[in-house]
Amino acid sequence: MSGWWRGIWGRQGVPCTGLVSEARFVVLDTELTGLDQRKDDIVSIGAVRMQGRGIEIGSAFHELVNPSAVLDGRSVVIHGITPSQLETKPPIEEVLATFMKYVAGAVLVGHCLAIDLAFLNREARRLTGSPFRNPAVDTLSLYGWLRHRIPDHPAMTVALPGLSLFELAHLFDIPVAEGHTAIGDAYITAQLFQRLLPLLLESGILDLKSLLRVGDPNRQAENLIGPGGQAHF
Amino acid sequence: MVLIDDAVRFLSQIPPFQFLEGPVLRDVSKSLTMEFYPKGTVILQQDGPVSEFLRIIQKGVVKISLRPKGTGEEVVSDFRERGETFGLVSLMGGHQKTTIVAMQDTICYLLPKDRLHELMGSHPAITEYLLQFHLTKYVEMTSREIQGKSLFLGSSDRLLFTAQVGEICRPAATIVPLDATVRQTAGRMAEDRQSAALVVGSTGEPVGIVTDSDLRVKVVAKGHSIDAPVSQIMSRPVIAVDEKEPCFEVVLRMLHGNIHHVAVTRDGALCGVVTNHDFMVLQGRSPLAFSEDIEKQTNLEGLAPVSRNSLSIIGALLREGARAVNIIRIISELNDRVVRKVLEFAERDLGPPPLPYCWLALGSEGRKEQTFRTDQDNALVYADPTEEQREEVAAYFHRFAEFMRNGLVSCGFEPCPADCMASNPAWCQPLSVWRGYFSDWISAPTPKAILNSQIFFDFRPLHGDESLAWELREHLGRLIPDYPLFLGFLANMLVKNRPPIGFFGSVAVERSGEHKHGLNLKVKGVTPFVDIARLFALEQGVRLSSTMERLEALRGGSTLISDLVDELEYAFEFIALLRIHHQYRLMEEGKPIDNFIHLDSLSNLERQSLKNAFRLALKVQDQVMERYKSFII
Repeated sequence: MSGWWRGIWGRQGVPCTGLVSEARFVVLDTELTGLDQRKDDIVSIGAVRMQGRGIEIGSAFHELVNPSAVLDGRSVVIHGITPSQLETKPPIEEVLATFMKYVAGAVLVGHCLAIDLAFLNREARRLTGSPFRNPAVDTLSLYGWLRHRIPDHPAMTVALPGLSLFELAHLFDIPVAEGHTAIGDAYITAQLFQRLLPLLLESGILDLKSLLRVGDPNRQAENLIGPGGQAHF
Repeated sequence: MVLIDDAVRFLSQIPPFQFLEGPVLRDVSKSLTMEFYPKGTVILQQDGPVSEFLRIIQKGVVKISLRPKGTGEEVVSDFRERGETFGLVSLMGGHQKTTIVAMQDTICYLLPKDRLHELMGSHPAITEYLLQFHLTKYVEMTSREIQGKSLFLGSSDRLLFTAQVGEICRPAATIVPLDATVRQTAGRMAEDRQSAALVVGSTGEPVGIVTDSDLRVKVVAKGHSIDAPVSQIMSRPVIAVDEKEPCFEVVLRMLHGNIHHVAVTRDGALCGVVTNHDFMVLQGRSPLAFSEDIEKQTNLEGLAPVSRNSLSIIGALLREGARAVNIIRIISELNDRVVRKVLEFAERDLGPPPLPYCWLALGSEGRKEQTFRTDQDNALVYADPTEEQREEVAAYFHRFAEFMRNGLVSCGFEPCPADCMASNPAWCQPLSVWRGYFSDWISAPTPKAILNSQIFFDFRPLHGDESLAWELREHLGRLIPDYPLFLGFLANMLVKNRPPIGFFGSVAVERSGEHKHGLNLKVKGVTPFVDIARLFALEQGVRLSSTMERLEALRGGSTLISDLVDELEYAFEFIALLRIHHQYRLMEEGKPIDNFIHLDSLSNLERQSLKNAFRLALKVQDQVMERYKSFII
């Protein structure tokens, strides 16, 4: 596919034009055994669908994966998932195949999505020979971009928080439940995305193409630091 | 799944969804979408696209308004908040007639149209709730919910209100024939280890009762012959109740008649006896026990602590799930007893009154609608003296009324800040003066006169020569039809006190101004209903003073509220229950008792019911305004 063609239709047949309010999104989060892409594995995938600004309550995707790597003590503490819980779960190949169908035709959304994508793409390549081709948006990139556009908004005026999903959830008054699961975090991310959408709309981000530009998962740092090169930390 | 669990948890707290069975609720939850609207978002626009969803507010507040055609002015028709829905009319009617704006950051669950239709088809209750304003059923559910909150005691504590007296009475009391002697009767009682014996006539019908106390007081203390027939010392007539009567009703009758034994009958024939003791066993500490404590006292020093303590009965009654009207009746009954006791002391200490008099309870006390102790509202009417007697009699009753005021204060009844007490010489007068007052107020209804009529026309004789009170009542009944202007002014006063429906709309309203201490449930909740009942009772010549009795008397008549009696009673009772619960909580926490309720302290169902009660009062007020429009200023 040429660059021009991709610009209109995006990857995997997801149109990159059209209005944000009419787009389909899949907001996702993965839990990992660690952050080393060579050694670590996906433990679970959680995701919810959004149609425009609406979160579809019955649409959740949540699968635990039987990992090849041995869980180390640290992530067990974070996820509250013990190795024995995972032994009976399907292997990553199966989960990924289902997940690929689930995300077909949707824009992917996540918080610090680049990390999730790196692991998902590694598995996708291994399984099908190619990575996920869905367009993708990072809520942290969006938040960073908005901080410079609407600095007076209450959620933007605070000193830059720890950037974690939970810090942002707190800023936007999104309830955060105890525990830490892929689906729970995906739900929080979806609500965060839901809060950011009207602010983006006000700042002129009406079409999907603009959203993909300012929400590029690889522009987190750039967006947060801002045009003057000055970090608003 | 966390999303569905959250939605189920939310829906299971709000009507009408809370009445759905678990699996259906879960299924409904799966079909929902969740949207977020920042403050100021126009969610639906008048004459804009029709809503495809029923929106259920999970958080925030929306304002519903419309612009009538041809005018530019926006009319706010309602505020909706957490737990309420909007978009139904548009969804059903195919036209968006209102504009709906988020007043705060608002989150809604969206239920798709086809799913809603399905649900309404399979669950008539949903349809009924959503489509109709039908107060009755929901108030019932709400009061059940409120009662559920305090059900931390075992089920036996609820018996007083659920059990029939036949279930707890002792089957075989000692029964003696009418011609038995005192000695024979006492012998049988000792043999049966009973504290009372029933005396029956030739066909087994109960004619009297003899108790341990009769034997003590009438026989031993007075040296009465023990060989005389028992009929000479028995108490009669004996109060007989049917075995199917609720225990609660029986307790009330015992309280009222100051008796400790009641005969229980089945189809008219004696089948047992029930005593105060049986009720005490049933529930630990009964209202009767308090009443007995009050009766036992011989001076103010003894009465004061008993009187102050008697309010603790309310907690037990609430926990038993007593209906608000019943709790209020018991409180009134106990309060009446304290007042009568103080009157007894007054007559004893100041010497017998020179002329017959009647002690009148006014205002909420007159209506028997006191929740917790309110301040004193009373008056005294005495028979018209001769010219020579006049000063001396006035002086006596003035001393008498002052004794009463101070005595009642020591028993926990605060003095009336507006000085509506018999100790105010204006309210301690002979009958002729009182008749003059009533005539003046009705023929020249100044604001002050209307205010007085709202307090004084709810009078009730509490002690003394009741004929004086009835003469006043007669006088009032004759006056009203001659002065239509008076009712017009009363109506005018009534429609000015609008229940604040907007109170539910915005937290901002509550945080500032009129409602910054919360909603005054007495003024804005109870009073509109009291005023409505009083207006129509006076209009129809109903001579009862309590709101419930007045409403009952108006049922089926020709007034514009005759068909709304059920709704009005439920609404009134619901508000009364909310108020008692609120005040009881304050009392438990040792805080001063007030009438201010905060929205946060109410469940969704309570808010809905309160809002429905307000809507009902507004509806009746609108009709009153229509009927009396020429008098409304």
